[in-house]
Amino acid sequence: MTLQQQIRRNRLRSSIVVGGFVLLLLVLAGLVGLVFDVSLGVVALVVALVYAVFGILRSRSMISGITHAQPLGDAELRPLRRLVENVSIGAGLPVTPELRVVDDDAPNAFAVGIRPASSYVGVTTGLLRTMPKRELEAVIAHEVAHIRNRDTYLMTMATVFAGVIALVADIGFRTLAYGGRGRRAGAIGVVLALVGFVLAPYAALLLRLSLSRRRELLADSGAAEILSDPEAMAMALRRLELDTTTVRYTSTSTAHLWVESPTDRIGSDRGGVLEFTSWFNTHPPTRTRIAALEEAGGFRLPERLAPEPPFAIELGLA
Amino acid sequence: MLWLWVLLGALALLVALAAVGYNRLVRLRNEADTGWANIDVQLQRRTDLIPNLVEAVRGYAAHERAVFEEVTKARAALQQASTPGAAGDANDVLTAALSRLFAVAEAYPDLKASENFLRLQEDLTDTEDKIGAARRYYNSTVMHFNTAIQSIPWVLVAKPLGFRAKEFFSAAGDTSVPQVSLAPSS
Repeated sequence: MTLQQQIRRNRLRSSIVVGGFVLLLLVLAGLVGLVFDVSLGVVALVVALVYAVFGILRSRSMISGITHAQPLGDAELRPLRRLVENVSIGAGLPVTPELRVVDDDAPNAFAVGIRPASSYVGVTTGLLRTMPKRELEAVIAHEVAHIRNRDTYLMTMATVFAGVIALVADIGFRTLAYGGRGRRAGAIGVVLALVGFVLAPYAALLLRLSLSRRRELLADSGAAEILSDPEAMAMALRRLELDTTTVRYTSTSTAHLWVESPTDRIGSDRGGVLEFTSWFNTHPPTRTRIAALEEAGGFRLPERLAPEPPFAIELGLA
Repeated sequence: MLWLWVLLGALALLVALAAVGYNRLVRLRNEADTGWANIDVQLQRRTDLIPNLVEAVRGYAAHERAVFEEVTKARAALQQASTPGAAGDANDVLTAALSRLFAVAEAYPDLKASENFLRLQEDLTDTEDKIGAARRYYNSTVMHFNTAIQSIPWVLVAKPLGFRAKEFFSAAGDTSVPQVSLAPSS
């Protein structure tokens, strides 16, 4: 499968996901209409869609706000910016995404944007202080692969819609459980609606998370392909795994954006022990990701990595 | 009567399949062309940097005429190269000539310390990195395109339809092959 085919497949998948979420919203609105009033159902639907559109349009700056990512001046960190340029050229992106820096000691990176032209890559200062050039390039290639595959678009859609559905279901549930006014439906209708309101957010969440995990593996192999260097990506993952700092400014709503899960350090490595916990992780276990790269590249990564001077020294940050 | 409909249906299906396949070939060819344009931009940038570099070195080492001439000639050859293969070769020659130029520059501490020279050197290194990145992308698109037109059934009709296999852009010191260490870790 060529890169372009992957992108097209992802776009198709994005529309299916969006369609699925719209369907879920329609069901929720239908339930609202069933137990309260038809006009209330329509109002709920319209409000939810407006909220979703607003959320998608505002996602770029919203994520910047949550993660505290700072845009850079023209002359700042030139070598790093060149790294991003080179990786984008290798990925065949028509434009180089903007670069932003998060002042945080935890080594991590993320990518945001609806279109490649309006996307940006965020890296933490901790990443620059941890990674040697070759591995830093691999992490950036992973993020650029997310942008190229249109994962960022897909995940923005999924995040916003999951939020909207949770909101509508929550309001519906509370009104039904505690308000109880204006009820039209019989007992069966009410029970049906209650079950629907309770289950819908979980359905949306599971859909969102399963998408996120598959994206991560695809982006890993994409990074290996962009640089023709699967070992660099595996080494970067190992180095991230050995680090135990967690990102300060994050929330579960942005967890899927990062190259490595920014929150649950111990949980992310437990996949094999308890299968169910891994359903609620945004990222596959690091070991699984390294193993996939080892298989693709035909190499074995040593358990311990030799310490190497980080790229921050070259940038004059250390 | 039935066999006529079956025949017509089969024909329509064949036409549809042919259209889809043809569009795919066109798309792959366009991707490879875009990939080549990316390399071309960087090669152009490289040739644009060279006159400034030669001037900068000439200011300190005017008598090293042979090296300047070599670089200038290699630059002209790269500008005239019309196919990816020829451009790749010319690019290698230019790289070799430039490394001799930088070796000459080593002997002049004032030159090495001049800001102009340092910036040019940095820009050239960056351009070389970018040519490498663009080459990786271009070569992968060429591989997909060539594979497509050399597989059945397209291998039979690719030539008459005007699809020719594309040349790879290869360069000496190709680092696109993953370096796999087989030595046991100590």
